[in-house]
Amino acid sequence: MDLEEIYYDGENYIETATGNKVSRQSVLCGSQNIVLNGKTIVQSDCIIRGDLANVRVGRHCIIKSRSVIRPPFKKFSKGVAFFPCVIGDHVYIEEDSIVNAAQIGSYVHIGKNCVIGRRCVLKDCCQIADNTILPPETLVPPFKLYGGSPAVCVEDLPECTQYLMIDATKQYYENFKRK
Amino acid sequence: MLSQRKQKTNPNAIVAADALVCEEATLEGSITIGANCVVHPKAGIYAKDGPIVIGQGNIIEEQTRIINRNPPGVTGSSPLIIGNCNTFEVGSEFEGKSLGNNNVLEAKARVGPNTTLSNSCVIGAGCHVNTEEILPENTIICGDNYLRRINNDKLPSQTPQLDFLKKILPNYHFLVKPNKPA
Repeated sequence: MDLEEIYYDGENYIETATGNKVSRQSVLCGSQNIVLNGKTIVQSDCIIRGDLANVRVGRHCIIKSRSVIRPPFKKFSKGVAFFPCVIGDHVYIEEDSIVNAAQIGSYVHIGKNCVIGRRCVLKDCCQIADNTILPPETLVPPFKLYGGSPAVCVEDLPECTQYLMIDATKQYYENFKRK
Repeated sequence: MLSQRKQKTNPNAIVAADALVCEEATLEGSITIGANCVVHPKAGIYAKDGPIVIGQGNIIEEQTRIINRNPPGVTGSSPLIIGNCNTFEVGSEFEGKSLGNNNVLEAKARVGPNTTLSNSCVIGAGCHVNTEEILPENTIICGDNYLRRINNDKLPSQTPQLDFLKKILPNYHFLVKPNKPA
């Protein structure tokens, strides 16, 4: 299945040398702490909180409108610490999701309107269904689809998930064209 | 970023001296923010039909919407009073009548205009509450089925988080200048 082409207004997006496309309507706080490794799309009204801790996003990631990426915090006996948030390659985060994860592997698909709780770890090749609430400190194993509130494993994903995600994210990037 | 810098601060907003309100937050109407509060960028506080008074030590995270709006057919301008040490996590929405102390609205929680929260209540992530009631103290609502229970433990204090945020946020954001008359 081919994705349809999406045209964006050239004035509203900043394109970097490594091919990142970042909407001017997004909010990147503490941009010196945010690393986008290339060919990543950040759409309008996204919030990435680099001011709290480092955020690293791999290649060919897509972060759609109104999503929030926010490093997780943990309470210790001596105050609070924020942990860096690491996201792998070919990760697709759909609209209105809130990501508080400590670690997201590669080839991960997060649906619309999800809440990924504090310090969750999402392994490679997993998927989170739409409207899922993942409780804090959940570990999502590879090749599993999680859904519901609180989230439980719904079904297994096919072995080809990695290639499906590579295809989907690359095609999205190629079809995301300047007007 | 430039257009956000130009945004004029709201003359009706009263911000206490040691509150930390990011300039990228939206403050609309008559709002009083108490001492020790932290308002993250892109949070929205909308006092449409009456003033909003926020107590001490609250954390209001991004995409939160706190609205004081009259239900259809009701006029007047009753204030919305929010107590102390409440946490509004990312994307939560509060339209209720009033809020006590030490409540937590988790991410994407929504409280409608018919509900009043007492003290130490937790509305779980993604729960939408709009029943005609006053939630008793220590109520926890969570999950798909809106399971309820009364929490016997004390909720952990959020002062360490507040201290950390107050240390780190001024390094990265423009802040609304406190203007509370002494």
